[in-house]
Amino acid sequence: MTILTRLEQWKEHGIISSEQHALLAGLSRGEPFSIFLELNILLYAGVLAFVAGLGWTVSTWSQQLGDAVVLTLLSTMLAACFWYCFSLAPTWSPGETPPPGLVFDYVLYLGSLIWSVELAYFETRFHLLSGQWDFYLLATAGLFSFLAYRFDNRFVLSLALSALAGWFGLTISHWPSHQDATYRQYAILYSLMVGGVGAALQRRGLKPHFFGTYLNIAANVLFWALLSGVFNREGNLVWLLCLLAACGASLAWGLKRRQFSFVAYAAVYGYVGVSAVLIRDMNDGTAVLGYFVFTGVAMLVMLFQIARRFGREA
Amino acid sequence: MRAYSASSEEALRTRDLLKDWRGEGLLTAEQYQRMEQETVCELRRTNIFLRLVLFLFTLIIVGAAVGLFFAVFFSHPGEQTIGIFLLIFAALSYAAAEIAVSQAQLYRYGIEEALAACSVGFLCVGMQVAFFSGLFSSPTPGGTGYLVPAAGAIVSLWIWHRFGLPYASLGAMIFVVWLPGYWTSSPSGQHLIVAAFYSAGLVTVAAVRPRHRFTYLNNEYSIAEAFLWLGIYLAINLQLSSGNLLGHWWGSSRATTEFSRPFYWATWVLIWGLPPVVLARGLRRKDRFVIAVGAIAAILTLVTNKPYLGWQRHTWDPMMLGALLIGVALLIRLWLAKGPGGIRHGFTAQRLSGKDKRWMNAGVATIGLVSPNIMTPSPQTGGPDIHFGGGDSGGGGATSDF
Repeated sequence: MTILTRLEQWKEHGIISSEQHALLAGLSRGEPFSIFLELNILLYAGVLAFVAGLGWTVSTWSQQLGDAVVLTLLSTMLAACFWYCFSLAPTWSPGETPPPGLVFDYVLYLGSLIWSVELAYFETRFHLLSGQWDFYLLATAGLFSFLAYRFDNRFVLSLALSALAGWFGLTISHWPSHQDATYRQYAILYSLMVGGVGAALQRRGLKPHFFGTYLNIAANVLFWALLSGVFNREGNLVWLLCLLAACGASLAWGLKRRQFSFVAYAAVYGYVGVSAVLIRDMNDGTAVLGYFVFTGVAMLVMLFQIARRFGREA
Repeated sequence: MRAYSASSEEALRTRDLLKDWRGEGLLTAEQYQRMEQETVCELRRTNIFLRLVLFLFTLIIVGAAVGLFFAVFFSHPGEQTIGIFLLIFAALSYAAAEIAVSQAQLYRYGIEEALAACSVGFLCVGMQVAFFSGLFSSPTPGGTGYLVPAAGAIVSLWIWHRFGLPYASLGAMIFVVWLPGYWTSSPSGQHLIVAAFYSAGLVTVAAVRPRHRFTYLNNEYSIAEAFLWLGIYLAINLQLSSGNLLGHWWGSSRATTEFSRPFYWATWVLIWGLPPVVLARGLRRKDRFVIAVGAIAAILTLVTNKPYLGWQRHTWDPMMLGALLIGVALLIRLWLAKGPGGIRHGFTAQRLSGKDKRWMNAGVATIGLVSPNIMTPSPQTGGPDIHFGGGDSGGGGATSDF
């Protein structure tokens, strides 16, 4: 029985009204047909292509064009983007705010990317901070965070978190001896900070729908950092314990909130970490294969039970 | 012929639609509850993340189990022995997939999908190892080596038909790419054969689709048709499919050496002619996947036109393309907005489904995950010649190495 036949029956049985029937039957036939998603993808791809070309052009032709022309051009575009956003933005609200138009989010995204291009150009040409790029990244992270919260834009929020990650990375690169261990510690610090800030802002009711973005980034960075520790030859047991704790937390969170991406993170990262430790010193191929069969079946049974109990759809 | 009953699959589709409409506030909670009760279905589904993880672990188990079998029972097995046993494992994997569906009622659960995928993989590797000259021999014209990709394509098509897995049709198309190498050494001939196979598939799908327009099968045929259109486009766009693009992408040299001039220029005409045809068909049928392929093909044509003509690329080309894409989106948006209720010719720019929002959320989450990796500079960077890796990438890959 097709959806159209069912809708007809439900109308006859008085479950839905005639108006509802007309609307729902139309929607299931694709009338009207929404191209909302397609237009958004087109705009996003357009902004990315535009900024890619802009960066390439500026870097290639900066000598011929001259600093004044380049900076005027970039500043004009930047000002136009931000003027558009500030003049059309709705009143700020701590909750989720729909954008005033389809292009609004993308103009802000474009402006943010142009800001980055201009900043990079400025420092490269004038060396105002003498190579202290990390301050630019920190300032950029701050600006993007402000813009993301002011205009309720998660694209720009992800840029802010990226800039913050860049700041962490660049800060360490200035140190005389930077090793994997240092990076790992800072990656963990970054993920805890991002997760903590996201949780705190969510608790305060400030754009609580941003929390998913914070948490996904924090979880993945944390898992990668812990895994890199597990892959170390020395002192990996501590990292393994940390990884298992993180997996437990991720699993519990995913099941409690029914966010199954976190269940998947726990399963995959946890399995990779434990396997790395257990099969590290196995020289017998048969034993390794036996390990994968045995543990694979155990994981499958566990995940199947989780899927049956918590992740059922239908 | 299908592993699932039509009523079950139609019920699943109805449940998805009801959930979407409830989420959009088009149905009250009471209405939703009553309607949902009438669409109860025995099939077991799970969400996308668990599905992916279940798929992964099933692959690990099957792969390791087969390896373990050879390790335990054979010390130095001959190629033919390995091949024969792989064929047996292919049959066992397929049988296990059937049992998972018929006994456990699994539907898009990852497990039965991985088993089906393993059956195709084992079949092709087993045939190649058992009957032909090793696993890594490149295709050469003559002989019966084509039977391996042909079997892979046929079994993939069967799995697509039997289990309704959309990517199985893509698998079949990928196997078809290997076929012409066994029949001709002419690059033009190979492109033509692949395009001919895809065209035949397209004609078949187009002939079958109309009677399933408002059924659960429509989506499946839509994806298959979209893949076929994309396959045809990629087969005729020599800048993309001949592999020359990587070498000549930013240069001005044309990939004309291995193709005759008439063939080369005929394909140039076709890459301009095909996108409007695909777009028109997608728009006329209101087919989301075909529209998407039409748009992708149009963009690829714009991107590959200069290498095709042997023209010099300019640094501002991506800017022009970006401006064009933004302009087109804005024009369509404005044009639709001027219609009564924001609708023209049955199209609207308004969001009507919660699915769109979920896709957008998934996209933003992906960008969020990708961009820190792109933006975090390498530890070696430092000093005045530092490459600024921060800001202008953000998932787009734009860099600013000034």
